[in-house]
Amino acid sequence: MPRIELINVTKKWGKFVAVDNLSMIIEDREFVTLLGPSGCGKTTTLRMIAGLETPTSGKIIIGDRVVFDSDKGINVSPSNRDIGFLFQNYALWPHMTVYKNISFGLENLKWKKEQINARVEEVMKTLQISEFRDRYPSELSGGQQQRVAIARTLAPNPQVLFMDEPLSNLDAKLRGEMRTELKRLHRDTDSTFVYVTHDQLEAMTLASRTCLINKGLLQQYDKPLRVYNHPTNLFVADFVGSPTMNFLKAKAKKVSDTVINLEVLGLNIKYTSNEPVKLTSENVIIGIRPEFLLIKDNGAIEGLAYSTLPSGMETTVKINLKDTILSAVQFGAVDYAFDQKISFDIIGKSIVLFDEESKVSIALGACEVLK
Amino acid sequence: MKTMSFSKIWNKTKTFFSKPANIILLFFTILLTATVIYPLISLVLDSFTVQSISEAREINEIWGTAVKKGDFTFAQWPNLLFNANSEYSLYFFWQPLYKSVLMALLACVIAVLGGGVLAWLITRSNLPMKKYISAVFIFPYIMPSWSIAMFWENFFKNTNIAASNGTGILQALTGICVPEFLVYGIVPCALVLGIHYAPFAYILIGGILRNMDANLEEAATILKSSRFKILRRITLPIVAPALISTILLVFASSISSYTVPAFLNANNSFTSISIAMRGLIITAGKKGQGYVVAVILLAFSVLILTINNWFTRSRRSFTTVSGKSGQVSKFRIGNKPWIKWVVASIIVLLVSFFAVFPLVSFVLESLQETSGNYASMTFKYWFSPENFDVRITAQGQSSQGIFHNYTIWRAFGRSVLVAAVVALVAGTFGILIGYAVSKNRRNRIANYVSSTAFLPYLIPALSFGAIFFSLTFKQGFQWLNVASTNNEWSAVAICILVASIKFLPFASRSGTNAMLQVSGEIEEAAIITGCPWWKRMTHVLFPIQKSSLISGYLLPFISCMRELTLFVLITSSFSLITNVLQFYNVYGMTQMSNAVNLLIVVFVIGVNFLINKLTGASIDKGIGG
Repeated sequence: MPRIELINVTKKWGKFVAVDNLSMIIEDREFVTLLGPSGCGKTTTLRMIAGLETPTSGKIIIGDRVVFDSDKGINVSPSNRDIGFLFQNYALWPHMTVYKNISFGLENLKWKKEQINARVEEVMKTLQISEFRDRYPSELSGGQQQRVAIARTLAPNPQVLFMDEPLSNLDAKLRGEMRTELKRLHRDTDSTFVYVTHDQLEAMTLASRTCLINKGLLQQYDKPLRVYNHPTNLFVADFVGSPTMNFLKAKAKKVSDTVINLEVLGLNIKYTSNEPVKLTSENVIIGIRPEFLLIKDNGAIEGLAYSTLPSGMETTVKINLKDTILSAVQFGAVDYAFDQKISFDIIGKSIVLFDEESKVSIALGACEVLK
Repeated sequence: MKTMSFSKIWNKTKTFFSKPANIILLFFTILLTATVIYPLISLVLDSFTVQSISEAREINEIWGTAVKKGDFTFAQWPNLLFNANSEYSLYFFWQPLYKSVLMALLACVIAVLGGGVLAWLITRSNLPMKKYISAVFIFPYIMPSWSIAMFWENFFKNTNIAASNGTGILQALTGICVPEFLVYGIVPCALVLGIHYAPFAYILIGGILRNMDANLEEAATILKSSRFKILRRITLPIVAPALISTILLVFASSISSYTVPAFLNANNSFTSISIAMRGLIITAGKKGQGYVVAVILLAFSVLILTINNWFTRSRRSFTTVSGKSGQVSKFRIGNKPWIKWVVASIIVLLVSFFAVFPLVSFVLESLQETSGNYASMTFKYWFSPENFDVRITAQGQSSQGIFHNYTIWRAFGRSVLVAAVVALVAGTFGILIGYAVSKNRRNRIANYVSSTAFLPYLIPALSFGAIFFSLTFKQGFQWLNVASTNNEWSAVAICILVASIKFLPFASRSGTNAMLQVSGEIEEAAIITGCPWWKRMTHVLFPIQKSSLISGYLLPFISCMRELTLFVLITSSFSLITNVLQFYNVYGMTQMSNAVNLLIVVFVIGVNFLINKLTGASIDKGIGG
């Protein structure tokens, strides 16, 4: 079944390297998101798998068929790869009605008329667009266009579905709804989804696995929560999570295999790693997720409330610690006065230590502030 | 109470005029009504007016009436359209009209097929040498349309044709004599017009293809459509509105083309409607009937505009959500790499033949002692101070070698002057209209101004000339009539007036497009800092859209330099360089007319190149956007 394998795929535009030696495996029926900032090569990767873009070198296998191999000169056309593709701007044909847009692909498959009709009605019903069957795309709202585009993509029952930032043109509320439905759709269609997004929240909530790409290079390819809790490097840690992780430069001194003394902003911290650490230099960066800064009375560290951003369910508190601004998240609505004194602790066992030079994560552990 | 309401009106008026865009709109409402709408109405009225004593006599003879010059009459219409007397209507109206329609249709097919196929190849395939092809392909549009006609004659004329003036290049090189219908008449006219407008079609269709969301085609690819099916079911229907606009615009321009039929009509076998019209107005002394033809050509344009609107207003019309275009997978020509090179070579040869070779032919023709004799090369038509033709000298004009020829250089100077002033006026007006329209979208006055500014485009050049020609006989405007004042400056003045309006559409289109692309906030940011209006225009808006606004100046300049049809009624034979070119051609001085043609083409291409290098503007940006 449709397992997708990329082996050393590279794409260059002249001297610019869009995708650099990418290898990854997308298992059958997975929901994989390709995540990264704009221009990082994620869309190019997706288009290469779909066959819309020709890689400069490498090999792509869909199911048990080699669809691209630069060495053997194989390049299967996108129409023969048995895939569906949902475009960011929907790419609905403006001169065709909703019905025509959906039935067009089925006609190409040489289905019988009744079959086509039945299938179009079926997908229109699933996506609740039956009432628009005779309308033209310009007469639909963004959300409706989106549904038509999904219906068109789903109609031929593709085994693999590629989606290129399909929700980015929708407003926040609709985006939330569509997210829920896409996840449902993944289960109902029983096919493999590959989904490109720059929205880390989308990637986290939808995917069974997330592939982070930066500047054409694969950064991490893991389950979303694993990416969140065990980032392999500073880029991943910074990109995933909102509010973003707090990063503090520190001087490290090794005490034992698992214990390191850290000096940061005049504080002495005893860092206990979960596993033995190899410290290559004394310059490190501590990464602390906002939820691991627990604001409480008599906390070990004292700072000032720089700004408080309550959103109802939770509150983001920006803490000024000796002119470094840290983010903390507190459940429920609280409001601190500006520059009010706040004390807090660093909790949990998921505090990340990065090497400052290589930006690679070297340890995961707990912090204890020494008086 | 009364003072209150007065002050309210006063304040409202003040608010209205505090916005420069409103002042501009008001100004152009008045100006365009006077220069476009009023002449149109007056032309229609003229077709219902007895224009001369001889016309009055004729009308009275046929209809038994007693009308005088200046009287209102319906008679002009039936006199021209339904006069069975020795088949007058057939020869002077219906046949020319039929031939012109046929010619225009043929030209449309050639232009749209040629330009469209090339546009598709350039934007959607892996054709090699795209840069050269698209650069050179524009040439025939920059060149005057009749210069291609002259080249056609230079190349194909042969001794088998009685009306031919010497041996053509083809006969000289290979000995092949093509039949007459390929050299003179409707076929070459249609071909030449088609070649002239093919770049126009290429620019328009190419612009749409380039802007068209490539995802639309990719979506069809993924849903297993063949390349051909995509073209037929997706690309063509989406490009259709642009395609239809192109067809209609080419048709409107071709049907009334005067110069091309005039040049490729050596034996008078092909009378186009424009030739018939000029004959009626200038030679036959039947101005009234000429105006009837002008009104009919105008009606064609109005019809074309209506059809165009009807096509583009359908509910399928598409709103582009700009996607990741430009990442299209290119269509591979042939399955072997050499095939695309063969295709490219054929295109390069064809394009070069029509774009580069004419220049060579003009040089060669201007150097022949006897036209068509390649053994008799001489530089005398360039350098000799002697007069070559007494018939010309007898009219007080020069027939000396180009570098001594005051007729040519004076006319050339006047042409450059007209073109420069027209470019300045039309370009600036275009920017102002663009600014005012973009600030008042969906406002009724703005719509009026923008569509009136576009109207001259649809009025056939010859009719447009006729409108102002008829104006020069009106009280108070007679100083503009070069035939009665015998002063070339009259011609210059009216040419500037006529061309500024006629070429305003280009400028106002590019001005509006450019201004619409600048977001309103950019100007608002300047307003808030207290920047005055003229400074916002010169320091903020103009620099941002510099290249497309300069195209708005360049296009009228180039069009004006090479224009003849528009000016042919309102000028003398020596007013502008294009008149002189035609004049020498009529007198059979092929060497001189080829040399003058070369002069114009090289000048126009040179200016285009220079402006392009200096500012990055180019004519294709003006129309394409």
